[in-house]
Amino acid sequence: MNLIDLGTLGSAASALALALALYAMIAGAIGAVRRDARLQTSARLTAVAVFLATSIAIVAMVAALLTDDFSVKYVAEHSRIASPTWVKVVTLWAALEGSILLWAWLLTAYTAVLATTTPNTVLRPWALAIMQFVSVFFLLVVVVVANPFVVLANPPLDGPGANPLLQNHWMMAVHPMLMYLGFVGLTIPFAFAMAALITRRPGTEWMAQTRRWTLAGWGFLTAAIVAGGWWSYEVLGWGGYWAWDPVENVSFMPWLTATAFLHSVQVQERRRMLKSWNVLLIVLTFALSILGTFLTRSGVVSSVHAFGDGPVGPVFLGFFFVITLGSLGLVAWRWDQVRDRAELDAAVSREGAFLGVNVLFLAMTFAVLLGTLFPLIVEAINGSRVTVGAPFFDQISLPLWMLVLWLMGVGPLLPWRRAEGQSLRRNLAAMSVGFAVAAVAAFTFGMRGIYPLLTVGLAGWNVVSIGLLLAGAVVPRARLARRGLAATTLRYANEQRRKVGSMVVHLGVVVMALGILASSAYRTDVQLRLPYGERVAFASYELEALRPFAEQDLGRTSVGVEVGVIQDGRQLEVLRPRINVFAQNSMAVATPAVHYTAAHDLYLSVAGAVDPNADAVIMRVVQSPGIIWVWIAGAIMALGTVWALTPMASRRKALAEAPLGERSPA
Amino acid sequence: MKRKWGYAVAGVAVLVIAGAMIYQALATSLVYFVLPNEYAAEPERYDARRLRLGGIVADQSVAFDESDLRLTFLVTDGIVSFPVSHFGAPPDLFEENVGVVIEGHFEGEVFMSDNVLVRHSEVYEAEEGVIDVEALRESLK
Repeated sequence: MNLIDLGTLGSAASALALALALYAMIAGAIGAVRRDARLQTSARLTAVAVFLATSIAIVAMVAALLTDDFSVKYVAEHSRIASPTWVKVVTLWAALEGSILLWAWLLTAYTAVLATTTPNTVLRPWALAIMQFVSVFFLLVVVVVANPFVVLANPPLDGPGANPLLQNHWMMAVHPMLMYLGFVGLTIPFAFAMAALITRRPGTEWMAQTRRWTLAGWGFLTAAIVAGGWWSYEVLGWGGYWAWDPVENVSFMPWLTATAFLHSVQVQERRRMLKSWNVLLIVLTFALSILGTFLTRSGVVSSVHAFGDGPVGPVFLGFFFVITLGSLGLVAWRWDQVRDRAELDAAVSREGAFLGVNVLFLAMTFAVLLGTLFPLIVEAINGSRVTVGAPFFDQISLPLWMLVLWLMGVGPLLPWRRAEGQSLRRNLAAMSVGFAVAAVAAFTFGMRGIYPLLTVGLAGWNVVSIGLLLAGAVVPRARLARRGLAATTLRYANEQRRKVGSMVVHLGVVVMALGILASSAYRTDVQLRLPYGERVAFASYELEALRPFAEQDLGRTSVGVEVGVIQDGRQLEVLRPRINVFAQNSMAVATPAVHYTAAHDLYLSVAGAVDPNADAVIMRVVQSPGIIWVWIAGAIMALGTVWALTPMASRRKALAEAPLGERSPA
Repeated sequence: MKRKWGYAVAGVAVLVIAGAMIYQALATSLVYFVLPNEYAAEPERYDARRLRLGGIVADQSVAFDESDLRLTFLVTDGIVSFPVSHFGAPPDLFEENVGVVIEGHFEGEVFMSDNVLVRHSEVYEAEEGVIDVEALRESLK
């Protein structure tokens, strides 16, 4: 059939990768114990070989998908000839075995980069050995438990194709990739933390060496969650983006703990406190990403993403226990080193605020975990089948988020160790004015209810806080250097990338909060009967069903309705909500169409079926105010992260040109 | 030392408040999955609660009023059936004798639904015309 048997090639390549990773792990660990530079170098070079071998496996899989080689089991089960090329490529991570292969590949890629670029420190050999340990687990799953390369003796002529929900939107090509990049990125600080414990160096080295990886991993995870929300908005047809579905929750939990980690490492960097806490947070983050895979992939928690039963779930559960118990054992073993000697001087201080926000994020993680697992607990106890509705998660997380927003305004303005009264009181007064102005404005515009008013008020509070932070840094500099404010701000933004990046991310959080508030508290969701050729009023619009249509695309059939969106007698846009049916898979997917505006979205989704002979169509019509700002906020947060990550273009030049007075750190 | 006690007391207070909040939130937002006969056996247990009612759309019971978009049908598990009133068009693939899970609450004997999910499965018939309740429950939950 093919010149090379892709299934055999893939199996061989992943087995080779597993053997190499096993060698790199053992050689690296022995090299680290014996301080044998040759063994360490050998392990490092092998990391590159592991990556190359896994790459061959990936290439074999993509080639098998693209050439419709149905002798490969994964291709036979998840691909089909008629699919467009991009769907075939994406099918690599459209099902369980393929996504684990992808995860393994990204892991080996990161490990190879780490092995070749990290400076030679005491931590490096151990960190690489831990990375290889994780790689060994994933490659073992690929080779033994969920081998996608199994060769079928009697290959079918065609396959069923990927899950229709997944091939219905290009976002699905992006979201899982971002998610795995995030998970893998956060494996690196985990590996270094373990290395720090093993080598009895639980200082700040491990976090300093992984700062960028941590931030990048967090940024990818943030982007992945926002992208996943956008996907469900554009695909699932109910006009929302977050349903507290188990699969959403399990991606959210590592994000929460990673966010807590991002903040608490700064306390250790500045004050040498929270050593054990930081280690535990990164262990928790990594363990939760593994637990999440178990929960969603084993079918214990039924969810739209469940890929069915199989041995993969239990294997991940086992790995979760290995990780958790192993790391906790290591922490206990090194307890003398990680115990904090410094003490919190005052609760009202930067470290106090960081600690506070940590507690809030952990409380949220616990609540989300409880809500996700509760149905299992109840079923185990009395056999009742229950679901925990969205109200639970809203009730628990809303007050916590309010506190987070409050602290987000206060924290960055507090000095380390202890706050002095004068400047703090002035700042708080200004922020309170911001709060009051925003809340009163919201009230006069007709907003009612405690959470909406609090959210808007806290947005004002935070905007003033960011303004004060920026002004506090820029104004004295401008005065000193006798430069314009705009020029100084740009210069400051360029030099203090971490600080300014964090301000941008915080601003993104504020925008996100407003977007979520507007789109969830003020949405209108109705079903309307639209007779063809008649205009039906909805909110400030009129909708007119123009004509039904049916079209054939590569591998899918769509039936839908063209609907004119009219405002003030003018037709703004013709939307084409439809129902897509993917051949060989009778599942019909209602595909909504959205009229995007800055103020609100008009979201149309066919309710029921489209009957070309009927004289009307029934349409679900959702108007969500401000929803576009959720996506914009995601972009702002990503931008802030990228800003903090990219090195300053001309640091030396800036230093050389700067007048003497500017060189002292702020 | 004194301050340590202060932190401990504050910590315990936070935990107690959090526990109470979580309990309260769970108590009000648990949604039970029941079959019609399970509800009929002890309706007071599910009094006014939000439920997910599973069953089969009974033969010749479906009516859809196009003008006010009201869908009515009977949902049954072969033992008990209840009338369902749903606002909105019948979802795609909705038809008689198909398995459904309906979300909503009871108002008297009528189940007021706001969401109908069609569950395709062909395992509920134990023998011709008789519904296998256990199989139905397993296939819908």
